[in-house]
Amino acid sequence: MPPKASFTREDGLYHSFCGLVSVGWLYQKIKDSFFLILGTHTCAHLLQNTLGVMIFARPRFAVSLLEEGDLSSAQPHIADQIEEIKREHRPSVIFLLSSCTPEVMKVEFEGLAHSVSTPEVPVLFVPASGLDYTFAQSEDSVLQALLPFCPVAPPDDRRVVFLGSVNDAIADDFTLEAARLGIPVAGFLPANHFHELPPIGRGTVIAPLQPFLPRVANQLVNERECTVLSSLFPFGPDGCRAFWEDLAAEFGLKVDLSEREARAWERIRPHTDLLRGKKVFFAADTLLELPLARFLRAAGAEVLECSTPYINRRFHNRELQALEGVRLVEQANFERQLRSIAEERPDLVISNIITANPLIGRGVVAKWGTEFIFSPIHGWAGVNTLANLCTRALRRHAQLDPLGLDPVWTAGVMPSLPGEVIPLTRS
Amino acid sequence: MRLAYWMYEGTAHHGVGRIANSMRGVHAVFHAPQGDDYVTTIFTMLERTPGFPAMTTSVVSGTDLARGTIRLPETLRQVEASKNPDLIVVVASCSTILLQENLEIAARSSGVGCDVIVFDANPYRMAETRAADGLFTELVRRYAAPQALTPRPSVNILGPSSLGFHARHDLIALRRMLRVLGVEVNVVAPWGASIDDLRRLPAAWVTIAPYRELGRLAAEHLQAQFGVPALCEAPIGVQPTLRWLHALVEHLNQVGPRAAGSGFAPVTLPPLTAFSLDGMSAPSNVPWFARTADMESFSGKTAFVFGDATHTVGVVRFLADELGMPIVGAGTYLLKEADWVREQLQGYVSDEQFLATDEFQQVAARLAALRPELVCGTQMERHTARRYDLNCMVIAPPTHIENHLLAYRPFLGFDGADVIADEVYTTCTLGMEKHLIDLFGDAGLEEEVKAPAGNGALAPPVEVAEPVTHPAPSPAANGGAVAVAPAPAPTVVAPVWTHEAEAMLKKVPFFVRGRVRANVEKYARERGHAEITADVLLAAKEALGA
Repeated sequence: MPPKASFTREDGLYHSFCGLVSVGWLYQKIKDSFFLILGTHTCAHLLQNTLGVMIFARPRFAVSLLEEGDLSSAQPHIADQIEEIKREHRPSVIFLLSSCTPEVMKVEFEGLAHSVSTPEVPVLFVPASGLDYTFAQSEDSVLQALLPFCPVAPPDDRRVVFLGSVNDAIADDFTLEAARLGIPVAGFLPANHFHELPPIGRGTVIAPLQPFLPRVANQLVNERECTVLSSLFPFGPDGCRAFWEDLAAEFGLKVDLSEREARAWERIRPHTDLLRGKKVFFAADTLLELPLARFLRAAGAEVLECSTPYINRRFHNRELQALEGVRLVEQANFERQLRSIAEERPDLVISNIITANPLIGRGVVAKWGTEFIFSPIHGWAGVNTLANLCTRALRRHAQLDPLGLDPVWTAGVMPSLPGEVIPLTRS
Repeated sequence: MRLAYWMYEGTAHHGVGRIANSMRGVHAVFHAPQGDDYVTTIFTMLERTPGFPAMTTSVVSGTDLARGTIRLPETLRQVEASKNPDLIVVVASCSTILLQENLEIAARSSGVGCDVIVFDANPYRMAETRAADGLFTELVRRYAAPQALTPRPSVNILGPSSLGFHARHDLIALRRMLRVLGVEVNVVAPWGASIDDLRRLPAAWVTIAPYRELGRLAAEHLQAQFGVPALCEAPIGVQPTLRWLHALVEHLNQVGPRAAGSGFAPVTLPPLTAFSLDGMSAPSNVPWFARTADMESFSGKTAFVFGDATHTVGVVRFLADELGMPIVGAGTYLLKEADWVREQLQGYVSDEQFLATDEFQQVAARLAALRPELVCGTQMERHTARRYDLNCMVIAPPTHIENHLLAYRPFLGFDGADVIADEVYTTCTLGMEKHLIDLFGDAGLEEEVKAPAGNGALAPPVEVAEPVTHPAPSPAANGGAVAVAPAPAPTVVAPVWTHEAEAMLKKVPFFVRGRVRANVEKYARERGHAEITADVLLAAKEALGA
């Protein structure tokens, strides 16, 4: 066993969203699905504000709204709404997501989902409440709910199933790359449609594409006795090489991708030249932080701190090894991070949509980390996008003239600010 | 229980956050699960805040609930240590309020030195607007202290707030007019106000509270408790601004002798040109603009207005009184203000034309049925209008990032009248060009222009979207089955177009063709024609003037 990576855990007073935001990409990924959130005005307001643009594109998600009169009833009545959804959206599967209020009310979700589920249109309970789940984590819950619908593959069916939602272009890349290396592919979990779920059995090798799925990986091992690939996640040239070499090894194939990796690094050389020696601080919340920090370190940056909501020693084992020596923080305290940022003066802070503008207001070059979740950064084809995203803020700020840091240019923008913004990093 | 896809108003804790983020030295603490922190994004992204909004989520996790841990006292200590506020406002969330914890005791046990208020914002009984106004009123009641009036004429401006609709711009417009009058601003609140500023409120001669949604109750309190007269009208449009100025001057001159003694020199209205940007022109160009030949081609253009209370009333009156537009409907999503709005719009819209609902689908159905030439609404109506190829301008919150532009765009005062009129003019399909196209056909535009005129053309393509739920598209698109209950047209038949009628329809300019098609089908249904022949089309055109 490798030495245990060390990380500290703080009190979790950082800025983030709840697990419901995963709906934003999952409903688009699973094209015949509907996501019904049993929740309140707050859940609806969250979704429309964080997924603002998408909400108008005929979303296949809605909130079953708990109002004051509903709080006293033991079990909410959602049958009519399920019918309405079936009538208007004709989904093949409905995911019933929990949220904070019904959790506090102790709504019995398994039973509720079961009561409205039919063989034709299953209604599957997905734990996603903000009391327990953050950001991308509820994709883990969705995949767990889907698992029983994956056919059981015979023991001698030795193929790979890629785990985690990626868009079609990335999925094609992975399928083609696997074919090139001679790795047989059974499919993707989740698939684009409910009835296209891949067969999974004892011979299946699960290759995780997303770092936020430790529980479904664990469940796959327990229930289907399949193998879960332990490697780096396929981000960046270093991650892709390790991922494909290790995956090939699972199939008894020995491949050497060192040249491929070198070529990929060469292609993003303008970016790595810019990143070399730069001090990067992660104050983000997407759960992609570990592999992103590992890539940036391999690209020559100095990672001052990598904080992430949750670290799973087993699922993130290889990433943790690669990050040895980096200060790792789980459940960070944001005020402490602000003090660290003031002291250590990073060249780049990977933050989130909530904190990016205020950080920039303090003279920090901040990158809105949420963008990594919505960008095709996986695999060899994603290397350039990934590198680009990492350096865009640096390039942009270098291009703008330095006048922008004078507080006069933000005077009056924000009523609660005293006349002047106090820069963190300016001397 | 109902299915909700979208809400007009934000939550109660969002309302509290708006007050905290408006003021200096006031910090909101949400006793809530982490996800409730999403409201912070609305400030940092829509208002592009260069600082951290004054709000912190004191995270409540499932583990905390299982263990009976309450982190609030520690959060309050952290907030005091890092922000050093004068006041912390604590609110529960929709989930934690069900726990029936005593947050007063928890807050007291923190031992923090600043004031702490546990604000009872029950999210099941109040939403954003009432929570914001309720908290602000409570703060004014708590801190406003008796004192002498200022020696010179002065006013308070209550209402401008973080995420208020064009609030920063309105404040500039008000300050400009006050400067011209030679009247000082005693306190603006909540925008930029500290607790000390709230204490100074009763020193003003008059309180201006132009927004029905925020500040009026506080102004009324100052009037009842301290005798500071309240001016609660919204100066939207030229005539209302003139009346508002006269009322303000009158109030000031009534207070004057009491405040400044016998040496008081009455405030007088300067020549109106003094209110213009260069001090020597018309204060607004609307009165002349409305009378020009250019605008005559606007006459008869129908408008539908939907929004909060203040802007719905102000814009309806402006469109009708100052631009001469027929109003075919109006309404508000603020159900608690619906009676007031209806009363204010007496003589402008009938009860049948009035709509009070917080379900956007109902507004969409009304728009689909009426097909007005101008929609004034919120960002949701903007989307609905795009769906139905209608021209729309946003006149009320909730806003989209597109409403947070950089240039000076007030809605209040003379400056605001010009801004609104410009917006109407650039949003509507134009006048003279339209006549030419009407006369000669499509002028070859059909190939090159796919998007409708007006704001729709500016839309980024990702947002061009399908309808969210059931609002019926034009009957032609779905075979005439109108799926929405509130649509007034009785649906007995789904009329079919004959080839001949269809060919005639093709000669109608493309950008009004959709509306003509819908109107003719409505006409046919109402008269029970199963088939739209050339005769029916002609009869309909005659009857409808289409």
